[in-house]
Amino acid sequence: MNRALVTAALLLTRMVGPILAQRPAPGPPNPFQGKPEAVHEGESLYAQKCTGCHGPNGTDGEIGPALVSGDRTDFGATDGQVFNTIKNGIPGTPMGPQKLSDDEIWKIASYIHALRGTALDNPLPGNAAHGEQVFWGKGQCGNCHMLGGKGGLTAPDLNNIAGTRKASTIIDALTKEQHREYGSGGAHLKTLPTMDSYFPVHVTTADGKVIDGILLNQDGYSLQMLGNDQRLRSFDRAKLRRVDIEAKSLMPTDYDKRLTAEEFKDLLAFLTRQGTKPPPPTAGRGGPPRGEER
Amino acid sequence: MRDRLEHRYDLTSLLYTALSSTPMYNIVQDSANRTSVSQVFRAHAHHRSTVFGGRLAHSWVALQTVIGFLLSGAITSAVAQKPDPKDWPAYSGADNGQRYSPLKQITAANANRLQAKWVYHMDGANGMEQVPVVVNGVMYISQFNRMDAIDARTGNIFWRYQRPPASGTPQRGTAFYNDKVFMVTSDSHLVALDARNGGVRWDVKSEGGYVLAGGAPLIAHGKVIVSGNRPDGFVQAFDAETGKYAWSWVAVPKPGEPDAGTWGGAKPQGGPMWMTGSYDPELNLLYYGTGQPNPQWTGSERPGDNLYTDCIVAINADTGKLVWYFQNTPHDVHDWDSTETLVLVDAPFKGQARKLLLQANRNGYYYVLDRSNGEFLLATPFVSKIDWADGLTSKGRPIVIPGHDPSVRGTTTCPSTAGATNWPAPTYSPDTKYFYVTVAEGCGINFITSSTAPDAGTGYIETSKAPWQAYVRALDATTGKKVWEYKPVRSNHYGPGLLSTAGGIVFAPEQFGQVTLLDAKSGKPLWHFNTGDLITASPVTYSVEGEQFIAIASGTNVFAFGLQEVNR
Repeated sequence: MNRALVTAALLLTRMVGPILAQRPAPGPPNPFQGKPEAVHEGESLYAQKCTGCHGPNGTDGEIGPALVSGDRTDFGATDGQVFNTIKNGIPGTPMGPQKLSDDEIWKIASYIHALRGTALDNPLPGNAAHGEQVFWGKGQCGNCHMLGGKGGLTAPDLNNIAGTRKASTIIDALTKEQHREYGSGGAHLKTLPTMDSYFPVHVTTADGKVIDGILLNQDGYSLQMLGNDQRLRSFDRAKLRRVDIEAKSLMPTDYDKRLTAEEFKDLLAFLTRQGTKPPPPTAGRGGPPRGEER
Repeated sequence: MRDRLEHRYDLTSLLYTALSSTPMYNIVQDSANRTSVSQVFRAHAHHRSTVFGGRLAHSWVALQTVIGFLLSGAITSAVAQKPDPKDWPAYSGADNGQRYSPLKQITAANANRLQAKWVYHMDGANGMEQVPVVVNGVMYISQFNRMDAIDARTGNIFWRYQRPPASGTPQRGTAFYNDKVFMVTSDSHLVALDARNGGVRWDVKSEGGYVLAGGAPLIAHGKVIVSGNRPDGFVQAFDAETGKYAWSWVAVPKPGEPDAGTWGGAKPQGGPMWMTGSYDPELNLLYYGTGQPNPQWTGSERPGDNLYTDCIVAINADTGKLVWYFQNTPHDVHDWDSTETLVLVDAPFKGQARKLLLQANRNGYYYVLDRSNGEFLLATPFVSKIDWADGLTSKGRPIVIPGHDPSVRGTTTCPSTAGATNWPAPTYSPDTKYFYVTVAEGCGINFITSSTAPDAGTGYIETSKAPWQAYVRALDATTGKKVWEYKPVRSNHYGPGLLSTAGGIVFAPEQFGQVTLLDAKSGKPLWHFNTGDLITASPVTYSVEGEQFIAIASGTNVFAFGLQEVNR
């Protein structure tokens, strides 16, 4: 009896909860979904119409809020909501209805989607098959990076690079000596990050032997690296004569120059398609039961 | 077997092994699968060269080309059967499920100098049941969709692999093979990660829509073995080098198949397989336990024994064919899965050398079987009260006392559905010849919501008349007689598993966060430490640069303990 009441109450809460929260409707689907060209056209439209208030690349401006940060979704989380916001404006704010065609608004929504999502959501245009040849050939990316179970060990596996990075971040990594990495810029971390610097390190042991590798972690007492012998190693700092860390990644940052424009474009088309799409959320109860049978 | 394995690096004995005791079908199978086996062989050769400072490396490589093919079966077996004592490469340490380590730096005599060495927080985890795996000083901690490789000496992270979406659901561990570690995902992929950098070496989906459970994968004869519960209990094998699908075995027969008649015309269903099995490389047999039949709490619609639910099964590692089965609980209505860790021991039984299989089962009986053929040798209660059966027949079939089916008003049964024991790992010490197990004393009340609707179950509650209490018990392995017990005060439920070592100790974590070191012979507590969270995982031990560690997951952290005097 009690159990039935509790079940009924739970069901009611589940049905009424979303209504009380008054979530906005997701809006219509984006007709340009999955079309990289729309993102690029949206980018130039954004530059003309939106940068003045929201800043370049949606990173905050003089008047409007940043569009890319995860906690500001009141102006639209889905493409459809963004479309409605641009078309109708937000009453009581400087954001008025925009005089643009529907197609133009959808393209801007595609661009904002790309700014927010990872590269996998909006892969860059180009010949990905040719880009794959560049990756393993002229680009020599596979000498250090692993992809699809092949390649080197001294740089991160790129199996899910497009699922974890924005296209702009991938471009930065290929072209800019200084680019952001997780935890840089004075962020207050919530979890212990891995070191993604991959700096070359040379460790001199007490008997003068030098061991070379890639730095993976360190603190005041120990140092962890992937040796050039492909072994993961841990050293006690007190037992080392010296430690030399090259504060510069081995990653070249002139790919826009060492490759032709077409090769570079195709390499980006290839890289922005390397990823694992998360599985759709499972219906019903979330995951296996707590306890035994997982 | 022990003798042979201790001479693992002796060529003569390896050759002897290959020619004398490796079953012929092993070698035949290897000839069809030469590539992966030769890779195993190279890994072993590399290992030798480090062990002997490189002196033997060249001659060994030359010999390899001549006799490698002949030896390959034996090498695979030797590597899999007995890992380097410093490592813990699999869920139970070795494939035999013993969770015993020959390391003996930490002993009963110096236990009072044990201290915490480091703590690793697994952010986003939740009630960890993970058993860390350690090879060459690197600890691999798995989660659904995630793997962290950390420095087993300091707790500093080397690399992390994270695949979307992040999952907080507890999982039970990984397995190491050559240069790879294996991870199961929440959408039933099996992923091989490069142990050196976490790169994805291969990624396959489970075969035939089966849903992978969170049990740690098991390596057997070059294959990765995974299992699950849905739609019915199953085991699947994939080539460890390539991920190529090899075979499946399903815990219930299809209608019309042999033994489908044990369901009284009902569709056979259930038999979840959510725990890691054990493996005997000489017999090339995998041992797994299967879970309860469905519907879970009502048996009237499925009259009969309901094979192969609540069974211990032996499966050929190459073909996936069932070789034998033994059913602990025919026609179960109490959810007494037979999934508890299967411990493989070679020991005399009543004066005769036997290949034994030991299991403390959820239904309250401790079983001793002959693992070569499934012959029932002995079963004896390891909890004080079993009221659903009046002992067993000479074939091991329980003599059921009627009146214990779940009912609308509630039916008391001892032990409870949670079981006399459950997933927490037992351990067997070849030194004491004791089987150590975490036990829950107590009874349960099983309800159903309707006496007529099929599958109208609601589960069970703890009886107030017989409050639950956990114990760590040492049983004489071949008689099942209780030698000693340790009572973790306040712990009313099993949770953590056990570990035994050549140092004469049993590492016994407790449900409410204490970890206690017990004297393996007497059960006397020697040392304790409060980890500050619930423990639902099993411990491991390993050694890095001559320093022995014991590690255990508690809550969302992994703790590592070692001796004070080797502190850095």
